[in-house]
Amino acid sequence: MHDDQAVQPVLSFREVSFTYRGDWMQRITALREVSFTILPGQACGFLGANGAGKSTSIKLIMGLLHGHSGDIRLFDRPIGPPELRRTVGYLPEQPFFYENLSVEEYLRYLGRLSGLDGPRIRSACERVYEELDLGDLRRRFLRSFSKGMRQRFGLAQAIFAGPDLLVLDEPFSGLDPLWRSRFREILLAERSRGATLFFSSHILSDVEDICDHYVIIDHGQVLEAGELSGLFAQAPVQMVGEGPAPAEAELLSGGHWRWIFPEQRRTVALRTVQECGGSILRLERQRQALEDYFVNRVRSSHKAGQALHASDDDNGEAAP
Amino acid sequence: MIPIVAFATWRECLRSRSFLGLLALFIVFMALSRLIGWISATDGDIVTTDVVFSLQSIIGVLVAVATGTALMHVEIQQCTLYTVLSRPVARWHFVVGKFLGLALALLCGQLTMLVLSLLYLALTGATVSWPLVLAGLLTAQEIIIMAAISLTWTTLSTPLLAAALSLATYALGHAVHELPSFLTYVRASWGQEMIAWAASLVPNLGRFAYRNQAVYGQELAIGDALQTVIYGLLWIALLVTITVAVFRRRQL
Repeated sequence: MHDDQAVQPVLSFREVSFTYRGDWMQRITALREVSFTILPGQACGFLGANGAGKSTSIKLIMGLLHGHSGDIRLFDRPIGPPELRRTVGYLPEQPFFYENLSVEEYLRYLGRLSGLDGPRIRSACERVYEELDLGDLRRRFLRSFSKGMRQRFGLAQAIFAGPDLLVLDEPFSGLDPLWRSRFREILLAERSRGATLFFSSHILSDVEDICDHYVIIDHGQVLEAGELSGLFAQAPVQMVGEGPAPAEAELLSGGHWRWIFPEQRRTVALRTVQECGGSILRLERQRQALEDYFVNRVRSSHKAGQALHASDDDNGEAAP
Repeated sequence: MIPIVAFATWRECLRSRSFLGLLALFIVFMALSRLIGWISATDGDIVTTDVVFSLQSIIGVLVAVATGTALMHVEIQQCTLYTVLSRPVARWHFVVGKFLGLALALLCGQLTMLVLSLLYLALTGATVSWPLVLAGLLTAQEIIIMAAISLTWTTLSTPLLAAALSLATYALGHAVHELPSFLTYVRASWGQEMIAWAASLVPNLGRFAYRNQAVYGQELAIGDALQTVIYGLLWIALLVTITVAVFRRRQL
């Protein structure tokens, strides 16, 4: 995922596997040899379908689950000592908070746990009140908060202590479009401040807007990890022309045709059109949404998995 | 970290509806206790005092079990502990802080009940004496032991089962106090030893029920009182250690 080995990673997974006990003591494998690295200042979208292993990975980072094999490192040190989490901000999926504490009391409580002194807690409170519009709610108990308000408070407590690493599990869940946009702005501001972002989300357009890196996980295994810019560079090229059409082109009305091919075949495609005598009207790279890429990538992985299982079954039947 | 967690827990507990509701229930029942004194055939003042101090114990146990079981259950089921444990807080700090906060809240509740009881008795013309104050304080320690028991059972089982097991432990804890008189009926010495050993696995909560003697004005020697307090503290330490050991291994 990176070439620069001199920079110490903020977060790294090296061949991490994790199994947990299901019903009737059944062992369920949640992660299989997961490896990826996040460098300082990166914003990484952690993508996967429901049950892919995103929340499990995040809980392992935060020390809420234990008993994994492999190596998880925070700031290049093995996770374990609670002290390592001093500069990590965390927003859990579907956050719940103590109902009988007010916003202000809660933030002061968490600030003291993070080791902030009185003046720093006060200034951090003022900052998050303003950023997340919580000023009028500061004396309200959290039991009266709606889902969206809880999510706002959740982000407030995560960014409160000015963390170096923000680990967010579905931060955009339960937000209206206005607050989704505000969350994007806040996360981009955190990034500009120098914080590293690592978050899971099903809203991939938001990941596109905020992140420069991605990790796709499926069935507990990393399918792909890399830079988003690299992914967009692989987007297919669309050629629209008229006259004699190449064999692979799709015919349109008015004697036009359209041919979509991968970027690597551009030279071959141009030669083919020249050879068949057609003329090119338009040549452009298709805008590929991360969502389409993600869906295709995960589906192709499922198909490959099914094909593998089918061939295993065939082999099984053929065996004596 | 422990005092920070304890203070937040104390504040959270004092504002919980079950805590305040049971405290209100105590006030209602205490006000009605004089009725039982009036209709009783024996000394009305003693009966009223007995009822008031029994109420302090019973309602205290209910508060301890309800709040103690809910405390960890809510933390684990609703994942409220995620935002705390994602800070530089060790799990044992969290458990000890939680217990101390709960114990402090229960102590506040018990002291409120004790003061209200003594005021009520004084206003209704019953005798108020130092043994009653000491009895109230020992009841408070019994309630804190019950909180530790509830906390331990909650980390080991579901909240409903934990509440049932806590109440069963309370009953056993009082039954254990009557054990010496029961052992005289067991002939085999090995049987006596087995029963005595099994009884040592449960805190002897009868030791804290000094209220039964205090009502009649019987005094408790300071040495005995101190011994009971130390016995209680050792049980609390043991139960909290078990809770920490279980909670440290727990997947959240």
